[in-house]
Amino acid sequence: MYRRVEVDPVTLNVLGGAFNAIASDMAQVLYRMAYSSIIRESEDIGAGIYDTDARELCESASTPMHVGSIPGYLRGIMKVLGDDIDDGDVILHNHPYFGGSHSPDVCVAIPIFYEGKLIAFAANTAHWIDTGGAYPGLNVDVVDVWAEAKLLKAIKIDEKGVRNKQVERFLFDNVRTPTNDRGDMEAQIASCRVGRERFLGLIERYGLDVVMSAADHWMDYAERMLRAEIEKVPDGTYHSEGWLDDDGKNRDVHLKVSVDVTIEGSDITIDLSNSSPQVATSYNVPFDGSTLVAAHYIVRTIFLDEATTGKYVPQNEGIFRPITVIAPEGNIFNPRFPASCTSRFMQCQRMADCVILALADVIPERVTAGNSAHAYAIVYSGYVPERQQYWVNLEVSEGAYGAMLGKDGTDAVDNLIANTRNNPIEDLDWHYPMRNLRYELRPDPPAPGKWRGGLSIIRENQFLGEGFVSIESDRHYEKPVGLFGGQPGMTGALTLNPGTEREEKWYSKITGARVAPGDILRIESPCGGGYGDALERDPEAVLKDFLDELFDAEHAQQYYGVVIDEDMLVVDTSATSRLRSER
Amino acid sequence: MKRLGVDVGGTFTDFFYIDEETGAIVLNKVPTTPTDPSVGVMAGALEVCDMAGVPASGIDQFFHGTTIATNIIIEHNGSKTGMITTEGYRDIIYIARHKRPLNFSLRQDLPWQKHVLVDRRNRLPVHERVIAPQGEVLVPLAEDEVREAVRKLKAEQVESIAVCFLFSFLNPEHELRVREIIEEEWPGVYVSLSHEVIPQFREYYRFTTTCLNCYMGPKVSRYVNNLASAMKQEGFGAELHLMQSSGGVATLEGALSRPVTLLMSGPIAGLIGGIWAGRNAGFANVITLDVGGTSADIGVAPSGEMRMKHLLDTKIGDYDAMVPMVDIDTIGAGGGSVAFVDEGGMFRVGPRSAGAEPGPACYRRGGLEPTATDANLTLGRLNPNNFLGGRMTLDPSLSEKAFDDHLLPQLNMDRVDAALGAIKILEAAMMNSIEMNSVRKGYDPRDFALVAFGGAGPLHACQIARELSIPAVVIPPNPGITSALGLLATDIAYDYSKTELMFISDPDLEKLSADFAELEREATERLRKDGMSDDRIVLQRLADCRYFGQGYELRVGVDSGGAITGATITSLRDAFDQAHLQQYKTLNPESEVQIVNIRVMGFGGMPKLEWQPLGKGKAVPVDGALTARREVVFQVDGATREFDTPIMTGRSSLPATR
Repeated sequence: MYRRVEVDPVTLNVLGGAFNAIASDMAQVLYRMAYSSIIRESEDIGAGIYDTDARELCESASTPMHVGSIPGYLRGIMKVLGDDIDDGDVILHNHPYFGGSHSPDVCVAIPIFYEGKLIAFAANTAHWIDTGGAYPGLNVDVVDVWAEAKLLKAIKIDEKGVRNKQVERFLFDNVRTPTNDRGDMEAQIASCRVGRERFLGLIERYGLDVVMSAADHWMDYAERMLRAEIEKVPDGTYHSEGWLDDDGKNRDVHLKVSVDVTIEGSDITIDLSNSSPQVATSYNVPFDGSTLVAAHYIVRTIFLDEATTGKYVPQNEGIFRPITVIAPEGNIFNPRFPASCTSRFMQCQRMADCVILALADVIPERVTAGNSAHAYAIVYSGYVPERQQYWVNLEVSEGAYGAMLGKDGTDAVDNLIANTRNNPIEDLDWHYPMRNLRYELRPDPPAPGKWRGGLSIIRENQFLGEGFVSIESDRHYEKPVGLFGGQPGMTGALTLNPGTEREEKWYSKITGARVAPGDILRIESPCGGGYGDALERDPEAVLKDFLDELFDAEHAQQYYGVVIDEDMLVVDTSATSRLRSER
Repeated sequence: MKRLGVDVGGTFTDFFYIDEETGAIVLNKVPTTPTDPSVGVMAGALEVCDMAGVPASGIDQFFHGTTIATNIIIEHNGSKTGMITTEGYRDIIYIARHKRPLNFSLRQDLPWQKHVLVDRRNRLPVHERVIAPQGEVLVPLAEDEVREAVRKLKAEQVESIAVCFLFSFLNPEHELRVREIIEEEWPGVYVSLSHEVIPQFREYYRFTTTCLNCYMGPKVSRYVNNLASAMKQEGFGAELHLMQSSGGVATLEGALSRPVTLLMSGPIAGLIGGIWAGRNAGFANVITLDVGGTSADIGVAPSGEMRMKHLLDTKIGDYDAMVPMVDIDTIGAGGGSVAFVDEGGMFRVGPRSAGAEPGPACYRRGGLEPTATDANLTLGRLNPNNFLGGRMTLDPSLSEKAFDDHLLPQLNMDRVDAALGAIKILEAAMMNSIEMNSVRKGYDPRDFALVAFGGAGPLHACQIARELSIPAVVIPPNPGITSALGLLATDIAYDYSKTELMFISDPDLEKLSADFAELEREATERLRKDGMSDDRIVLQRLADCRYFGQGYELRVGVDSGGAITGATITSLRDAFDQAHLQQYKTLNPESEVQIVNIRVMGFGGMPKLEWQPLGKGKAVPVDGALTARREVVFQVDGATREFDTPIMTGRSSLPATR
């Protein structure tokens, strides 16, 4: 398809930057044009350019679970369509057993032709707010893959530049939010067109061979950089495991996540074989589109942390090469068709957390204590008779990081493979029949440690009309662990109508619960674990958290051995050293 | 017209005066006086009057740019601020959008948490709630809680109070009432209300912008007021105009009500001056590198056009500031940047700056720590006897002592290597920013010229251009005053807007006509007050529109100067579809279009700024250009040594002389 040629260092640099800029422009178009708040506000999308082997040339800095998954979608599309791909086609795809990440994340791919030959794809994925499953927006307790969504298996919505109106009508007659989905699809198509145009512009300017060779170079570079870091870790197999709440149907039947990380030279293998078998609900993880993506994400993040790696290392195919992931068919991380597998996020988060913890003893300076490793993905919805449509609002709540060597865990932020944005309160209240009543730091002390765990949030949403709630989450059972003497973090909690006689404690997974006007849902997100002995924490740091009203003086004394003079608002240093020496 | 541009940098204050009738130009540069910069401004301005032979009252226009606001944010040394906010929402500015700046990182800091604008202990929630869409009061304001909060903040000795309530832009009565209570409890304290700072939805951006306004407000107001009264005292009759982040100017009152719009004021004047200098040298595509004492500003202007940021992408330092802003990057790297070894043993330069007082060690003003300027002096790249054109003498032994005392004990290297290392670190930060803003945005630096100015820009330009393969470097004559010149190289511009939220299919033509007319009246009045004759005034009508359901707007022009008619609306609709098509390659004629804001831009045309071209250069220096030879340290092919280096004066060296 192209000849690999030498590319001078300046051109390499320019093209590396241009790839990055194309992906970023594609994402910008999608955010700006989109109708659903999960896209325009939360930015729950991915976008990039891929070659005809589905190798990733570049990706937008949006949500990690999206961007890394697109190669899987494209492999699925090519498997289905073979050579039946023409200039002007616009392909829709969401099939989880053909590379899809999960069915709500719909991929739009546009082939890029140059001088009559297919040379690449411009593609993106975006979370469609409803894809016509059994329940509005989110489906945990459903029977199979047909119950979770309308499956789009490499469907050409445009063929050779002509819109297929029958397919379009069928598709949008079978989802609950046709206006949003249609607007979002058009935004995705526009974004791909921008990608195609800009990529062809590069090829016209620099030539196909130079552009593709530069892409090869950047992949090799990323691979080299990652291998160099993996190589520094002693060879061996390192284990960690944890327990998920349940599958959303068989309550309190905990599910194991088992991770064996093997380092061999510059290769790393993540073996998930001893994790739970697949489950009867949608709480399974598509292997290509999600398991692999999360594993790639966490390895890169640990070994080439962007904040501490001096050099710019792009995220591309090269990053994937040193990483092998093992999960036999029938495992929760590699379900068999036609098991439903749309609720896959929490298992991926816990797997990532376990990879971090497995490596704690060999690279204590790079890891965190246990993370929230979770998200509250909550879909609120209701029917609007006059429009014959639903309103559906997906809210993704943040978590918090575990503490690190020399650094407290980060508070109130999307954790690990999640990196979306919150929807403004003023957008929620204005555009949906809902009202937010509270959104701030959780009023509990952070996990004590020499470096304390990150603190998460509390949120309260009220329904103003009849509606449904579906929830995908976890971490109601097992706390994020503390490391090297640090205390564990906190589990999450969901409470309906807290403090009233109608109060209900909810499980972490809810499928299509009915709610009434005035009902309030309180969400308390899990908090990260501490790192190191709390008695060694700098007393001034303890004082700061006290002054900021994260805990009281009694807590400071009990957990940190720090005595605070509550009149002067200073640390009583002599009482503190006395107390600390007694322990 | 006699026009004066004054740019206050962190270290120096620069002046550019031009008499348009005679073509006379006067330049001046004085040290910035950080405790009260207006002192330096007045001293320098009076010198300019003296040199030009005009009285202070003879100056017709006084344009001012300042990095004071920006430096407060970058150096995290703003006022201690308090916040009164809606109960249940204490941590909005701390949580931000809950998205990490870096995808692939466990160890990153969230800047808005590490240096939070208002400490949690001073973010005080009170019961109140206004709701959408009509702004009804759901929970009345708990006035006793407000009073208690104000007393607590007074006891905490905050210097300013940000009042940030949900939906205050729909109904400001609670925020206004809080201001009344504050005036009763604590008259005179600096107060900003979120609906006045930025009357737009999305609470996190509005709250953060309001807190920024409070964080910098007291310092900036003090300064601007001092300057205005000093001007009056010295007999300057011209009204003070300040450069805003939008590239337009504001009057004194405008600037005082929203100091947050003065962010980037200096840098943008520099960018305008850099574009002007590049164009005069025959380069349309320019990258500007403006290095002062405290910070470096990097701008990329393809075809000589300033790029504006999207309103939700406007940042200052690490904070989201929702104000119209030219796309420019500021980093904490300048001549005064302090070189030090951090807790982790890392050799760092900046962002902390020694500023003008005490300044670099070699300034002999009591500075002890080594700075980038000390490094340049140590390497022989600065002439200690010809600094500021000979108006200041530097002491190299103090630079050396600073390195010996503060860096060498902690670094295992000799003085020359430490000085070279400091320069390399400084230049790497600049190169990184240039790459982020050019290469990473798809602009090939080989198509650009690097226009380097500010006191320290030209010192670093050639090395940076070489490493980034930028083929041409433009150093404007008197590079130190490029920002002051830029202040005069732009038109006066004002921006007036109003939120409408109206469907195009059901327009209220009467209201639109009246609102546009009112905005135009404000703009015209403002420009006339600035001394603009009507033939130099240009008004432009704009509307921010979106397809109903979208979250972002596109700005389109609105035809007709008179009443808004059905035909105007039809062509607005077409214009929006076309703008959408151009921006996103698609349009949706069936979808409803919503007008979100209307806007009038009023421009006051300024005469073109002309400068006499220099002659063509030769490969040998002209007579008198070579002033000295001295030993200067360079690193060539990895080896560090002193080179016998010819020194030529900029005034008589011609282009292409090397």
